[in-house]
Amino acid sequence: MDMFLNAALLALDPWAIGAVGFGTFIGLVFGSIPGLTFTVALALALPVTFAMDSVPATGLLLGTYIGGMTGGSVSAILLGIPGTPSAAATVMDGHPMAKRGQASIALGAAVVASVFGGIFSLAVMIVSVNLVSRLAIGFGPAEIFALVVFGLSTICGLCGGSILKGLISGVVGLMVMTVGMDQIEGVPRMTFGSIGLMSGVSLLVAMIGLFAVPFIIEASAGDGGGQGAGRMARIRADLPGLRLLLSKAWLMVRCSALGTGIGAIPGTGGAIASFLAYDHARRTSADKASFGQGNLDGVIAPEAANNAVTGGTLIPLLSLGIPGDPATAIVLAGLMIHGISPGPALFMNHATEVYGMYVAVVIAYLWVLALQLAGIRLFVHVLKIPRELLAAGVLVLCLIGAWSVRNSVFDIYAMGIIGVAAYVLVALRVPITPIILGMVLGPTIENEFRTALMLSGGSADIFLHSPIALLFLGLAALVIVLQAVGEIRLRASQQKVNA
Amino acid sequence: MKMRLALGGGFAVLAAASVLSLGVPQARAEFPEKPVEMTVLFGGTASTIAQVLSETMAGELGEPVVPVSRTGGGGAVGYSHVMATAPDGYSIVWNSNSVNTTAHVGHVPYSYEDFVPIARVSEETPALAVNAARGWTSLQDMAREVSASDDHLKVGISGKGSFTHLVSAALFDAMGIGDQVTFIAYGDGKAPVELLAGRIDAAIQWPGQFKSYVDTGDLSVLAVTGSERIDFLPGVPTAQEQGVDIDITMWRGLAAPKDTPPEVVEKLAAAAEAATNSEAFRKAAATMGFQPAYAGPQDFAALIARDDAFYAGLLKKLGLGQ
Repeated sequence: MDMFLNAALLALDPWAIGAVGFGTFIGLVFGSIPGLTFTVALALALPVTFAMDSVPATGLLLGTYIGGMTGGSVSAILLGIPGTPSAAATVMDGHPMAKRGQASIALGAAVVASVFGGIFSLAVMIVSVNLVSRLAIGFGPAEIFALVVFGLSTICGLCGGSILKGLISGVVGLMVMTVGMDQIEGVPRMTFGSIGLMSGVSLLVAMIGLFAVPFIIEASAGDGGGQGAGRMARIRADLPGLRLLLSKAWLMVRCSALGTGIGAIPGTGGAIASFLAYDHARRTSADKASFGQGNLDGVIAPEAANNAVTGGTLIPLLSLGIPGDPATAIVLAGLMIHGISPGPALFMNHATEVYGMYVAVVIAYLWVLALQLAGIRLFVHVLKIPRELLAAGVLVLCLIGAWSVRNSVFDIYAMGIIGVAAYVLVALRVPITPIILGMVLGPTIENEFRTALMLSGGSADIFLHSPIALLFLGLAALVIVLQAVGEIRLRASQQKVNA
Repeated sequence: MKMRLALGGGFAVLAAASVLSLGVPQARAEFPEKPVEMTVLFGGTASTIAQVLSETMAGELGEPVVPVSRTGGGGAVGYSHVMATAPDGYSIVWNSNSVNTTAHVGHVPYSYEDFVPIARVSEETPALAVNAARGWTSLQDMAREVSASDDHLKVGISGKGSFTHLVSAALFDAMGIGDQVTFIAYGDGKAPVELLAGRIDAAIQWPGQFKSYVDTGDLSVLAVTGSERIDFLPGVPTAQEQGVDIDITMWRGLAAPKDTPPEVVEKLAAAAEAATNSEAFRKAAATMGFQPAYAGPQDFAALIARDDAFYAGLLKKLGLGQ
């Protein structure tokens, strides 16, 4: 208890609170701008922490991470362009809500769901870090492969009208990610001798191309007529009521638990969690048809889940020293430089710092709540800007964002090519979101599958002898069968109507 | 109001940080007159050491040294970028043994001879860890038990042709159990967890990854692969001490494009030397588990040339070289 009070004292120092707030603010800004993500923000913030004490330094990094994870929903809802890959699922219902004039409701609910998810996962982490990390160790290559197959099965729920087009889109995403250096064999694949292609297609660059470029082309080519993006409805800035939010509490709990669990497994991350949560919300909803048209549950579920991932990833990061993604790898470097080496001995050697981190996470979420709720009134005015002017601004941000991913002009060309392809796909009514899902899961599914087979000496038994792997493969099969049965029934009933 | 104040505080931090990183510009006609760009090839530890180094070097040079991340292709993307820039000292690369290894695996249009060595800055010594439950306490224990059985040892590596793969292959060859090893490639360094779960039998990684597990007694580190013990794990003997003749460490340093003027190289080397000896750099070394190891342009050049021949031979033996 002494240690906890000591840590709380350190973390509640005005300088530390300021550092967390500053990190949160930077994270929110980077997260909400399409193309700039919290990974970039963390890389920029890291050197600033070198000269700081360990508690404010880790607070600054955690604040940036948390702010970034939350900020992604802002442009996802307002413009239909996810600020970060983990906000890609939020676009599906968040943006239709904004078009209907309910942007502030969606944004407000997203913030509350995010904060709930984050605090929930922190609580889970504090209570059960050792238990969860022990379970996470059980996830070897075979189990992670099965989990990712389950994640991929949610494509079924993202297809909109045609499951065939959804599958085409998902497979395109998987294929794009095979370009570049093969991590396992160490040889370049499908690079045609290009050095730029050796590093593959960046997920972020592709995301900007897929979502932002069609927006820019449509806005520039269409008869904007000087109208704002939210021209369909009057812009209001009213926030969701307490009663509405309370009615979603059970959904938030379920999606937060899901996000915490996914986050705790190294090699997964926010994007998988948010797609699984979205699919879960749709599947359990009484009103499935309204998903994709602007159902608030479709905003709350992915936002609760992707922020719950923040607490989830802290579990393997702190207790095992394993960063789950590039962003947490930077947090890890920041911890190590302050002499805090994560791993099983962390809680013995640095209890004060760990408690300080817990308090910093809570402070970061309070900052998120305050900054975002105050910001919503400001953000919704973005919708008043005429589309063509907005498109010009988005174009500039996208160019900067694409360049900043790897400081390379190559990525700007890549963004352009992917963007034009995306525009054609949108025109053909092929859904875009499964491409992102394919790209997020592609490298993991391939590498884990191959590593699993290496471990088993080439025998597929490894997937059948693991109960965890069987469970997830079974769930994936169930999702696909249910979807197929649903489609056939739907078609049969339509034929009846036609006849 | 409170929030606005705190935000103001935040901006003050940002302003202070940008002043710090810009340094104090000095009017003089000699190198450097403008910021020096340091291309960083990898994330993680490599990138963090580069950030610490660049801050202290900037203080020495009187101009900012800006680490710019150009990752991918096992370093190929960054090396190719720097190779194509003007040889004036304003574009340098934070390099490593990867310049030797990638060049011999092939697929890249450069070799170490396309760069002028500036200085070696740090050294990292790989360590071999096994699950403590195996009961092995030395390389001999391990070699004896493995060679007495028909089993294949599952050894975790980062990827084929990666540094961890090369060190592992060299070590197990020297131990005489090279034929009884199956390499399991992981995209990233998840080695400690895989060891803990018992899915692999041994792994060679950086000491920083194993430290905490050694403290709790979950993993045992049997050897480090350099010729000297390291401060980070002082109780761990070298492979040579255990009669296994191997001496491989990973160096990191700075290099510039070919034809960069010698006086510019000297100046950068002097800044790198001062930075390597600085308090901040030594502190970072102690917490992150690497060794500051300055070597000047000539010594560094000799080291790279020697390493190149070594890795060419090793890769050919593994069937990975060209």
